Amino acid sequence: MIEEVLASIIFPGAIFILAISLFYEWIDRKLYARLQNRVGPHLAGPFGILQPAADFIKLLSKEDIVPEAADRFLFTLTPIMASTLILLACMFLPIAGPKGIISFDGDLIVVVALLSIYTIIVYLAGEGSNNRFASIGATRAALQLIGYEIPLTLAILSVAISAGSLSLSGIIQAQQERGLWFIAGPQLIGFAIFLIASQAEMERIPFDIPEAEQEIVAGWEVEYTGRRLALFRLSKDLELFLLSGLGATLFLGGSAGPIIPGLEPLLHTIYFIVKSVVMLVIFTIIRTIFARLRIDQMVSFSWKWLMPFAIILIILSEVIA
Amino acid sequence: MGIPGYFIVEALKNLFKKRATILYPYREADKIHVPEGLRGRISFDREKCIGCQLCSRVCPAKAIQIIEDEKGKRPVFLIYRCIYCGQCADVCPRKAITLTKVFENITLRKEDLVVR
Amino acid sequence: MSFEVPIGPQHPIHVEPLMLRLKVEGELIVDVDVDVSYLHRGIEKGLEVRPYIQGLYLAERICGICNCAHSLCYCLNVEQLLGKEAPPRAKYLRVIVEELSRIHSHLLWLGHYFHTLGFETLFMYFWRDRERVMDMLELITGNRVTTAYNTIGGVRRDLTAEMESKLRKALEYLEERMRYYEKVVDNESTILARTQGVGILKPDEAIKLGTVGPHLRASGVKHDVRYDDPYSGHDEIPFNVVTYDSCDCYGRVKVRMGEVLESINMINYALDHLPSGDYRLKIPPLFKAPEGESLARVEAPRGELVHYSISTGGTSPYRYKVRTPTLANLLSVVHMLKSRGDYEVYIADVPPILGGIDPCICCTARVIITDEARKTRRITTLSELERYSRERRGRRR
Repeated sequence: MIEEVLASIIFPGAIFILAISLFYEWIDRKLYARLQNRVGPHLAGPFGILQPAADFIKLLSKEDIVPEAADRFLFTLTPIMASTLILLACMFLPIAGPKGIISFDGDLIVVVALLSIYTIIVYLAGEGSNNRFASIGATRAALQLIGYEIPLTLAILSVAISAGSLSLSGIIQAQQERGLWFIAGPQLIGFAIFLIASQAEMERIPFDIPEAEQEIVAGWEVEYTGRRLALFRLSKDLELFLLSGLGATLFLGGSAGPIIPGLEPLLHTIYFIVKSVVMLVIFTIIRTIFARLRIDQMVSFSWKWLMPFAIILIILSEVIA
Repeated sequence: MGIPGYFIVEALKNLFKKRATILYPYREADKIHVPEGLRGRISFDREKCIGCQLCSRVCPAKAIQIIEDEKGKRPVFLIYRCIYCGQCADVCPRKAITLTKVFENITLRKEDLVVR
Repeated sequence: MSFEVPIGPQHPIHVEPLMLRLKVEGELIVDVDVDVSYLHRGIEKGLEVRPYIQGLYLAERICGICNCAHSLCYCLNVEQLLGKEAPPRAKYLRVIVEELSRIHSHLLWLGHYFHTLGFETLFMYFWRDRERVMDMLELITGNRVTTAYNTIGGVRRDLTAEMESKLRKALEYLEERMRYYEKVVDNESTILARTQGVGILKPDEAIKLGTVGPHLRASGVKHDVRYDDPYSGHDEIPFNVVTYDSCDCYGRVKVRMGEVLESINMINYALDHLPSGDYRLKIPPLFKAPEGESLARVEAPRGELVHYSISTGGTSPYRYKVRTPTLANLLSVVHMLKSRGDYEVYIADVPPILGGIDPCICCTARVIITDEARKTRRITTLSELERYSRERRGRRR
């Protein structure tokens, strides 16, 4: 009992996840900068590794302003819900073993549902600010949800169909039993769809339309300051961790690998981190090489290209199994 | 339509190049070389000055004040108003004014920004 | 449901304050209103109280990026008043520095443009290559941005052999990089998606609205001051006027990239055929100009720049007027930003369209007082503005 509580708070629970997600933000920023021939964070800590933590602490100490016309209830609720829901979804990922902290049959559906609810919270955050730019950003976020949600869900579910199980630990087990099935099978299409659709979920370039800095000045988070903004930015980092971990679990084998008995939690964690860093590097490279699309172009691209491939993928997964 | 991701080869090549940023305060590795003709801080040779006051009349920023000392009229340069155009150096008939290569003119005391 | 979205005066896409009030329905823009009075600095008045040699440096600072064009136009203007002409070597040297500054301006614009489109990597690469150009400008003129190279009667420094060899090496590097960037712009799918078909301006509309510069040349109209009215030895240096027929933002990017390559060729030709001789005329610094009026025009990186002055025989001009290219191009922005019929403009199209004219609002600001009751408009003078602001402040207390 005490062991479970400690595991869910410290390792591999909340504090570990928060620390690792700040580390992932550092990797993202440093790699993005090096690809652009710049330096990136280099002053806070060795190689700037403490920079995301420094940004978070700085934001916590700033003044917290609530505009007079904004909806106070939504203004306070949405940052808390955003970070909490994503943190909850991270607890389903198997990090220090073949099972996550919470694991039951069907937990994949819960993760997908939490990802969708996150975008609804973004919409509420924008509308609750009572600001023109925030309304435009919130509307764009909702439109973007229409575009990418179905292909993302279908890509994730097709992995479940191929593996024959709806729980993350069951999927890892199926991957271990059948070897490198995803490379030789139709899951390659699923991998590509997952990469593109999760860029849209995380609102990064080329799909960072809801918070296009150059058009609508930070979009739906324009009125948030201080602690609330710190929680939103933390929820973005947690989402990055969640989606790269999810991609590693579904397509790269998660925390499985050759084990030495006795060192299991450490080795499983290392495998998980290495594989999700591979996913993170791919996400960052995609962020570097594209410009931003317009919202109508994004939705039409999604329905013209991602949807047909997602449907083909589902059919192939059923047939080939 | 174009090729999506056309740029990726160039982006990956830049990962291994030396950074283009020059960090300040300067490290040894990237001390920059300023060319000879850089228009920086003014330096003034009192011996050559004849007191014609041409420099003060052509300065666009009114950065040159004329004062009287034991040898006659002479200019005092207020670097905090100077725009580094070099017109005073061009117009001086005895070439008493030169512009050096010093461009880091930040200081905490206003007296450092006056050249006598 | 329509509401008003203000783009400005402070906004990430604006380098200087400019107010664009958009009326939008969802994402579609239906109406636009422009206000340019946020950056008025009183430079024309400042030029009236200073001698000509001091006014040269004030005129250079009208715009930080087109500083070479403004100082060149001022020098041509005053030389016309005096009835003198620069020596042949000075003309070629002026062309070299002017074309270098044009390369610098276009590289800056390209980087900033792709930044507003969301492509930060190209932004960093363009600005890294721009550093090479600024190093060259520093080598030749002594300063990276406000070059102060032109003077009344010629140029202020000579070009040595060492400068020439370094310049040629830098130009080789730039040409290779520009050809690579042209390939990227031709092939990268997101750039094509954001710039093709956006901001259509037909040639007859462009001429009617008075557009100038690369903006006009991207609609297929061949109009360039260096070609129509050569002002500094441009009739001896061969070059092509780059036009493109697509009338949209993609065309504007292509025209400016082509102009960079043309400028590199022009500088190489000028270096090969540099005449020998004096590089400046001997003119006393504080002179009295004879009576008369003069007009000079120059192809600035943004378009046609016009300086006009009236002299009544004093050491400073009686009246000096500057017409910058951005003022001429702003009307076409208003025209391009309204949706009509099949042509739809979204809020996400404002950065490509506004950036496409290369706005330099610091040159543009004008103040006009509108009197609603008497239905008149007049341009105000500095003393009236001062009195007006003091009276307003007094009344509020």
